[in-house]
Amino acid sequence: MSGRRTRSVASPRSARVWTAHPGGDAILEGRYRRLLACYPRFFRRDSEDEILAVLMACARTGQRWPGPAECADVLGSAVRMRLGPGRSSPPRAVTRAIRLMRFGAATEIAGLVIALATASGVQSALVRQHASFLAGHWHDLLLFIELAVPVPCCLWLWLAWANGRGHRWARSAFAGVFGMYTLIVLGKFAAGAAAYAPADLVVVGAQWLIGLAVVLLLFSRSAGAFYRHQSMPRAPARGR
Amino acid sequence: MQEATFLILTALASGSQHGYGIIADVREISAGDVRLRPGTLYTALERLRADGLIAVDREAIVDNRLRRYYRLTPAGSRRLSAEATRLRANATTALLRLSPARDAAS
Repeated sequence: MSGRRTRSVASPRSARVWTAHPGGDAILEGRYRRLLACYPRFFRRDSEDEILAVLMACARTGQRWPGPAECADVLGSAVRMRLGPGRSSPPRAVTRAIRLMRFGAATEIAGLVIALATASGVQSALVRQHASFLAGHWHDLLLFIELAVPVPCCLWLWLAWANGRGHRWARSAFAGVFGMYTLIVLGKFAAGAAAYAPADLVVVGAQWLIGLAVVLLLFSRSAGAFYRHQSMPRAPARGR
Repeated sequence: MQEATFLILTALASGSQHGYGIIADVREISAGDVRLRPGTLYTALERLRADGLIAVDREAIVDNRLRRYYRLTPAGSRRLSAEATRLRANATTALLRLSPARDAAS
């Protein structure tokens, strides 16, 4: 972002009405600076002095502390900047991929519900197929499924968030996770899961298709341009 | 487009302005209805810069404080124009439907 740089020596005063308290400005400025520390570093490096000037210009005469509304505004803005989408809006392909990833997280819950609803049928099918399969094994397996569900659920959501911010590693991470998931699905088919847990396999198949669609969207041309743009360091608007 | 974004772009449509100037202008444009706070303003400016709708025009040091002036880019002008046209069309439709002629017809 290029821009001319000018320095006014005998410049007009800003719109601020300066405080009557000696040193009051410095105290308020220090407090504003501490408040601005909640912004991401890239933003502070580029804009801290500028936003500080505006905060000081908006301050009331004699103000010593940032007001509650100012604090809420700055904190809310910092949270949006840290947690929201990255520096630019993601293209439609990435937005769709994010929606699908959130849907994928929801299918994990659906998968758990189906696993619990069909548990007795799956157990008897397993016992029929494998004579050595004991009830104790089944309870351990069910407990593992219940406890493990939050992990992939959080993984879907975390990768959706990171991809929305344009992190290139998140795109690669999703592709890696999808590759591993493909191997797991193939392993389930090889183990004969289609015979004893057909309902579960429907969910697994749906998740695999969602994952495939996400990978195709994340590696589309428009998404590629977005990730490249997000990872590029922005040219400073002024020298330091 | 959010109202605040629309008003910021409108404030910059007549020429480059610095942050405090935008806040004051947005207040004037909206007849005091919209009071932008610095945090909200700079989040919007950051996004608009990243989207290429505005750019830094120049910088100045006034009373030892940094002032950065922003201007609309050609893409920003096109976007604002499109949004203004859309809003005008919606407003025209709303006014037409509220007009006494329609009441008489129904």
